[in-house]
Amino acid sequence: MRNLRFGLAVPAWTWLILFFVLPVGAVIWFSFGYKPGLFGTHANDILSFDRYAEALTPTFFDVFLNTLWVGITGTVICLLIGLPVAYWMAVKSPPSIRGLLIAIVMVPYWANFLVRTIGWQIILAPEGWFSNLLQGIGLTDAPLEILYTRSAVLLGVVYNYLPLMILPLYVAFDRVGDSLREASKDLGANRFSTFVRVTIPLARPGIIVGALLVYIPLMGDYITATVLGGAQGNMVGQLVASQFQTAQNWALGSAMAVLLILVIMASAAVIGGLLWLVALPFRNRYTVTLEEAR
Amino acid sequence: MSTTMTTESGRTGTDPVEGPGAVVLDGVTKHYGEATAVREMSLSIEPGEFISLLGPSGCGKTTTLRMIAGFEQPDAGDIRVSGRSVLGVPAYRRDVNTVFQAYALFPHMSVAENVAYGLQQRRTPKAEIRERVASALDLVQMRRFADRKSTQLSGGQQQRIALARALVNRPSVLLLDEPLGALDRQLREEMQLELKLLQSRLGITFVFVTHDQGEALSMSDRIAIMRDGRIEQLADADTVYARPSSAYVAAFVGQQNFIEGALTASRDGIATAHGIVQATTARPDLPAGSVAQAAIRPEFVEVADASAAGEDAPTRPNLVRGTLIGVSHLGETMQYLVRVGDDLSVIARRPTPDAPRLAVGDEVVCSWRTESVQLFALDAAAAEAGYVEPPTN
Repeated sequence: MRNLRFGLAVPAWTWLILFFVLPVGAVIWFSFGYKPGLFGTHANDILSFDRYAEALTPTFFDVFLNTLWVGITGTVICLLIGLPVAYWMAVKSPPSIRGLLIAIVMVPYWANFLVRTIGWQIILAPEGWFSNLLQGIGLTDAPLEILYTRSAVLLGVVYNYLPLMILPLYVAFDRVGDSLREASKDLGANRFSTFVRVTIPLARPGIIVGALLVYIPLMGDYITATVLGGAQGNMVGQLVASQFQTAQNWALGSAMAVLLILVIMASAAVIGGLLWLVALPFRNRYTVTLEEAR
Repeated sequence: MSTTMTTESGRTGTDPVEGPGAVVLDGVTKHYGEATAVREMSLSIEPGEFISLLGPSGCGKTTTLRMIAGFEQPDAGDIRVSGRSVLGVPAYRRDVNTVFQAYALFPHMSVAENVAYGLQQRRTPKAEIRERVASALDLVQMRRFADRKSTQLSGGQQQRIALARALVNRPSVLLLDEPLGALDRQLREEMQLELKLLQSRLGITFVFVTHDQGEALSMSDRIAIMRDGRIEQLADADTVYARPSSAYVAAFVGQQNFIEGALTASRDGIATAHGIVQATTARPDLPAGSVAQAAIRPEFVEVADASAAGEDAPTRPNLVRGTLIGVSHLGETMQYLVRVGDDLSVIARRPTPDAPRLAVGDEVVCSWRTESVQLFALDAAAAEAGYVEPPTN
């Protein structure tokens, strides 16, 4: 019985080792090496932390801060849009159209990521139809100056990653169910109290999953930044890609990638911890322990 | 006690009670699209009364409860709780609490936090919350579970917490939506007793929705038997059981043997293929010769070996001959199933200690007294329901 259970897990473990552990291990290994001459990509006969020192230039630091800013702001915007949309889809919309709504959320995913992003390039162009329309109806009197800025990158990532936020939130809200909300109202809680004390706490796992699903790939994204960001909207992903593809310096690229991974993990942990601390007084306020039970 | 018995609200014809804890439904109608769940229902519930809404699924009992709770709004009519109309008042501002069918305990809170929830919404001071939660948990003997998560409790324990969570708010009306449905039989019977005791101790109006007639009979001051969104009969348990107003009620409460036949000229009996079935009270409201049905409860039917019956037996009213096709032991009673002719089955139930010893295949006679017979206008659907309903006690 034990052998059988182990046997069933073999494909999963094989997959994880081949496509996760080995590549990440290789990247870490390369990051301790160096670029041997003009035509080599990496060598590991001498190990050092030199590539990390090389990576940590002031420019790299600026790009890192920019990436963090885009990553956090983008995730927060996705949450702010995703929460009401997913709540409406799961609770308020007529049940008969819910399948259709999910399909509509997913439709952009049928098109290639790059094509979708280039689509925004066309829309946001200073002489594009959208800019002309805004000027035509008198909302602005100058051409749209948004393309190749950080704002364009933000807009692009929110558009690209929003479905990854909405779907887990939808599932989470759907699972809370009507009966608990009714029980809450029956006990004197209005809509707002019910949302804050019943719906949100029960949907919390879905909210965390949605935020991570958006934040992690967003931090490593380089297509959106390349297409919409230009010189002002640099992200770490682009630096990593350019080391591997243009400079052919795998060692330095690997060191940057490892730094990115560390920053993603550390920032997620710090943000999670901060949110937990912020929610602490709220939780304590509603904790009830009977005197003798202690 | 209440001196304001003015006739301002004389709309229902009856005298609606308006004190705290009174619930009045006045011509309430509720549609769901094409379907009508509740039609022009009027009901006055007195303060401190234990009333059951009894009926099969789809009869409108749960919709009625949800309208009193505030989860549904009636399309027509008025609902008054403690003398004030609650039309348009949201559920969270009604002085009414509900014990839900599946309990609906908050899984992310401890037992104590579940019970405290309603008080916290009312911004009750912390010390008072602790005190009231403790005494509410004492009331249902669940205090030692205060710090458990509600998901770690058994069905019966969850049921008690749901009760405590509602009662801690001291509502003037408590609504119970089939709260015992998910419990096993022994626990259910225990909880029936406890609920009844609790209700008479607290003096809170209980509106209890159930499809289980045994439950309704054992606990209620009055029972409203519902059918297709209307109240078919509203009376205490004794009346509903002994003098059902229709064949439908007769079939739904307890078990019945139904026999069809033409009403005799004196309208106090029917002529059936198996002889005359005679009742004591006549039905002058039904035309003589029309098809009617007689209802006789299994516990009123005597069964005896055919050879023991006298020679004149076949000519006597209220006596049929048949073959015993089944005997089952139900604990306190023995149940006999007798085949009469080829279109009638008669169920007889006798107390086990003095039950006749009969074997399947025996020729038997079934007889009953005229007082046990009730005559109703023909209601095929009701007769059907009477046989389908499984014996629950």
